[in-house]
Amino acid sequence: MRKLALLGVGTLALALGAIAVIKRPAGAVQTPAPAKPDSLVAWVLSKGDSANLKGPRQPVFFRHDIHVGVYKTPCQYCHYSVAESSEPGIPSMATCMGCHLVIGGSDSSHKVEIKKLRDSWNNKQPIEWVRIHSVARHVHFPHMRHIKVLGPNACQTCHGDVARMPQVFKVQNVNNMGFCITCHLQRKVNRDCTACHY
Amino acid sequence: MSHESTTDAINRRGFLKVLGVTGAGAAVVSGCSTSKVEKLIPYLVQSEDQVPGIPTWYASTCTECAAGCGLHVKTREGRAIKLEGNPHHPVNAGRLCSHGQSALQGLYNPGRVKGPMARQADGSLKEITWDEAIALLAGKLQGAAGKVAVISGAGRGTFSDLLAAWTAAQGGQLVRYQPFAFEAIRAASQQVFGLSEVPAYDFAAAKYIVSFGADFLESWVSPVEHQRGFAESHGFSNGEMAKHVWFAPRMSLTGLNADEWHAPRPGSEAAIALAMANVLLAERSGNPADANGLRGALAAWTPEKAQEATGVGAEIIRRVAREFASAQPSLAVAGGVGNQHRGAAELCAAVNLLNYIAGNVGRTVKYGADLDTGDGYAALLALVEAIDKGGAQVVIVHDANPAYSLPKAAGFEAKFKKAPFKVSTSLYLDETAALCDLLLPDHHALERWDDLRPRKGVNSLLQPVMEPVFKTMATGDVLLKVSQKAGGSLAPFNATSWEAHLKAQWAKNVAGEAGWRDALAKGGLYGEAPVTPVKLAAGAGQVSYTAPAFDGEAGDAGFWLAPAASVMGDGRFTNRPLLLELSDPVTKITWHSWVEMHPETAQRLDVREGEIVVLTSPAGSIEAPVYIYPGIHPDVLGVPLGWGHTSYGEFATGRGANPLDLLDAKPAGSFLAYFGTRVTVGKTRKFHKVGKTEGNTRQLGRGIADAMTLDQAKKGLTPALAAKEEGHEEHEVNTEREVEAIKGFRESQLEKRKHGAYAAADLPMWGMTIDLSRCTGCSACVTACYVENNIPQVGYDDILRGREMTWMRIERYWEGGEHGEPLEARFVPMLCQHCDNAPCEPVCPVYAAYHTPDGLNGQVYNRCVGTRYCANNCPYKVRYFNWYAYNKKAFPEPLNLALNPDVTVRARGVMEKCTFCVQRIRGAQHQARLEDRKLADGDVVTACAQACPSNAIVFGDTQDPASRVSQVREDHRGYHILEDLNVRPAVTYLAKVLHHSEA
Repeated sequence: MRKLALLGVGTLALALGAIAVIKRPAGAVQTPAPAKPDSLVAWVLSKGDSANLKGPRQPVFFRHDIHVGVYKTPCQYCHYSVAESSEPGIPSMATCMGCHLVIGGSDSSHKVEIKKLRDSWNNKQPIEWVRIHSVARHVHFPHMRHIKVLGPNACQTCHGDVARMPQVFKVQNVNNMGFCITCHLQRKVNRDCTACHY
Repeated sequence: MSHESTTDAINRRGFLKVLGVTGAGAAVVSGCSTSKVEKLIPYLVQSEDQVPGIPTWYASTCTECAAGCGLHVKTREGRAIKLEGNPHHPVNAGRLCSHGQSALQGLYNPGRVKGPMARQADGSLKEITWDEAIALLAGKLQGAAGKVAVISGAGRGTFSDLLAAWTAAQGGQLVRYQPFAFEAIRAASQQVFGLSEVPAYDFAAAKYIVSFGADFLESWVSPVEHQRGFAESHGFSNGEMAKHVWFAPRMSLTGLNADEWHAPRPGSEAAIALAMANVLLAERSGNPADANGLRGALAAWTPEKAQEATGVGAEIIRRVAREFASAQPSLAVAGGVGNQHRGAAELCAAVNLLNYIAGNVGRTVKYGADLDTGDGYAALLALVEAIDKGGAQVVIVHDANPAYSLPKAAGFEAKFKKAPFKVSTSLYLDETAALCDLLLPDHHALERWDDLRPRKGVNSLLQPVMEPVFKTMATGDVLLKVSQKAGGSLAPFNATSWEAHLKAQWAKNVAGEAGWRDALAKGGLYGEAPVTPVKLAAGAGQVSYTAPAFDGEAGDAGFWLAPAASVMGDGRFTNRPLLLELSDPVTKITWHSWVEMHPETAQRLDVREGEIVVLTSPAGSIEAPVYIYPGIHPDVLGVPLGWGHTSYGEFATGRGANPLDLLDAKPAGSFLAYFGTRVTVGKTRKFHKVGKTEGNTRQLGRGIADAMTLDQAKKGLTPALAAKEEGHEEHEVNTEREVEAIKGFRESQLEKRKHGAYAAADLPMWGMTIDLSRCTGCSACVTACYVENNIPQVGYDDILRGREMTWMRIERYWEGGEHGEPLEARFVPMLCQHCDNAPCEPVCPVYAAYHTPDGLNGQVYNRCVGTRYCANNCPYKVRYFNWYAYNKKAFPEPLNLALNPDVTVRARGVMEKCTFCVQRIRGAQHQARLEDRKLADGDVVTACAQACPSNAIVFGDTQDPASRVSQVREDHRGYHILEDLNVRPAVTYLAKVLHHSEA
């Protein structure tokens, strides 16, 4: 019975996903990030809406492609605990403001988003990001051990090349155990159940 | 203030929201759905000492009793999730009892008062702001000079100093009160040594322990410390162990750990102590010179005279006295709630003489430490009388609940109500708070700055480990704010905050900020109190024994009532599901109170287990179901204290019966005679099914809890050989063919281990040893396991159906007690044995139960479909099925905040069991890998091993020959439970050693 219910949920999610894919204009699907924000993104923003980009719309249109792609900020500048903890660390608002106290944005579309950040800082209301990657609650994924073995730039193995994503979307279904096991098989590393499930 | 409160609000909000980041609190196994939108809410400003996913530890001090054990508090993402003992602390040296472990459920208790409240004209309580509350109290105090009364809990420290000065400044009266105050020990020390204090007792050094009903493993003075010492001396090691003799009408848990039990007539133990002292003086040379002056006074107390008074044989008394004298040093203890009859002070005085004559004072009984136990019962009664006579305009009750813990006969409620304005700082709406006009809920001990001086030489600090859960305020801050508002004589109390005041006081002890931080990190400043040498005082010659008076009917129908301090203590623990579900170490009963009755008495009265009886004394009557208990004098009935709350929160209220209702309130000297009345038994012919977690109380030759005599242990016999020597048959003998088959099976198993992940080099094999000669059955490990592993409490109804989820449980078996044989108890901690050849694994159709390469018996929750075949096939019955959605039901807010984010909260339909704390193993392995090193012995400590006050549990890698567990496993006392089944458990038990007399 429970299996059936789960199947039901799965099918529903699939169906919704399909609708979402169909509704999305083909042109808005990711393109390689240019050295400078190009006209496509400008076009998207001119619509006043990042919803046309792939991935869930975030309360602030945070641009991984600019921060990582253009300015080459290392991942761990913001995701500070990924090399030491099972949790990667969501940067605190103070981390954002460390730069954006000074940097106000070069064009109007940037200014709008940075103003949102500054407003929420001033109102002492943290921004509520929409979570993209998550594993089921009975799975324990130690980020630090993967960074330790694969190096500080291994993030993209699971999270995709965020340097080319104006808006982050899910590249790999990290909640699918097959995805984990494939890699563990290739690398001949621990495949014991209680490595992750406890 | 306004600035502060905004920061507070945001921080608390931040703390609650940050839970979303890891989804920590609500990790549920069935959550496969991906359709829900989850939010990630960042910190505004990241706290420097919090890294998500990594626990932050703070040193603090336990306030659950007056002993003052040191704590290490584990916090994750800003909330406390586990308490462990502070290894540097002199009192508990890293260990913690069940009460201390359960403090988290005090912190996150749904019954907490959520903010300040004031009584309205219509009698209801209404929430107000802190500014209003402080203005209200300040106004009342302004007109009440000389008419202020304060009742506070015991707990000596900067706060009690401030409170005393604050009260004195207004000409008020302060009484520091806790129900178990050891007044008799204090009075006896005054009489015999001229020193009114509770000394420190060194059980570790004692080679022979005689307890006259002092339950030193449970509620007596400093239980964790005593248990640690008791395990040191009474645990078998290097061919030696101490002996423990118990003289009291009822066996408490401490009594069950004795090697000999003699039940004297209630109230008469002093005669035994005097006779022993007499024997020592008469037969032994080398007694302290001034003790010889007592010869005349004690000469009359021959063992024969003591036999007449007590019913204990003279030859027993003489033998115990001789053994006591020849073991150097020894220790005799008495006093405390376990045996507090009207003669308790006389008994303690007699025991003081005995210790003095035997030369124990200064060696195992150390004066000078002056253990804090508060002002005592008589002082509180005097204050209540003063309130009754209109002596108080304002009464403040802090950290005490006299409306519950005084006998009903004291008439506290009516007298207390005569005070026009009553204030409570209680965290919970307890019986006293319910009578008050203003509630100013204090921070929980884990939320505030504080310190404690439980004894001389120990200055123990408390620090806030997290933001307050509710809108509470530290009472120290309340006092200071009220002082500034009220002015007048209170104006000098002008510290900017309680924290500032505390730091200013500490600045006298520590060198600057660095010294302060160092003390905080260690949990305080620790030193040894110098031992005060004592001599006999003039009163020593007057020590005597007269049979103490008991209220109630004296004839055949009258039974002595022995109220006992059990898991609920004095009643302060009763609103914690964790402790309600913890089976009482003696009776194994959960969720309700009981009346202990000797089997012969039950037969005589024709009552059965579970029958509700009415106990009636001159002061009142109570009803409770009968529990048949062989460890009690046939004329005595035991009833646990701490039950029968009328207001304390949803879990405690209306649960069980309160034996205090049967007591006369008149103090016997300075204390309340808990063991002071006789009762008659009335039958109701109504039944209440006893919520026991035990199965058969006898081993029936199954060889579960093995034991051997001291002689056999000295000879190095194995349990099997010891049993043979006793003339017992072997438990079950495998035939030659079976042995051959087992050998072949083993070989094929080892062959299989050469393949796949199992073949990897350097794999650890986790194993555990449990030393039954150290284990006392205290159940601290059980509580620690519950907290660490998010185990739900299922409640009384499900306990009756056998659905408790105790991954680790303490089994208690009776030995003897029939046909004139002495009664003995055997305790066995039972947990998953992680069998090498586990019967649960091959029967799982979905491979949810399987063997991990590192020797664990794994249980994969997300694979489990709940067939329960594994539980059916487990010979140890250590697999527990999750019958209901306990993940939702068992952790009502905010109790869910105590959940450990490293452990999945299991959903309905899943089998679960002990994992050897696999989350701790994996955590340690991660850490070792990050540091490019191998795991060292001691890197992984399971929650049970960490908590055990007796240090009975050792965990580690059995592949490493140097590890402690490998060495202990080789002990000749080692055995496996149900070894004949060839399941090859990873848990090795070391047989208990019985220190019987040679005679």
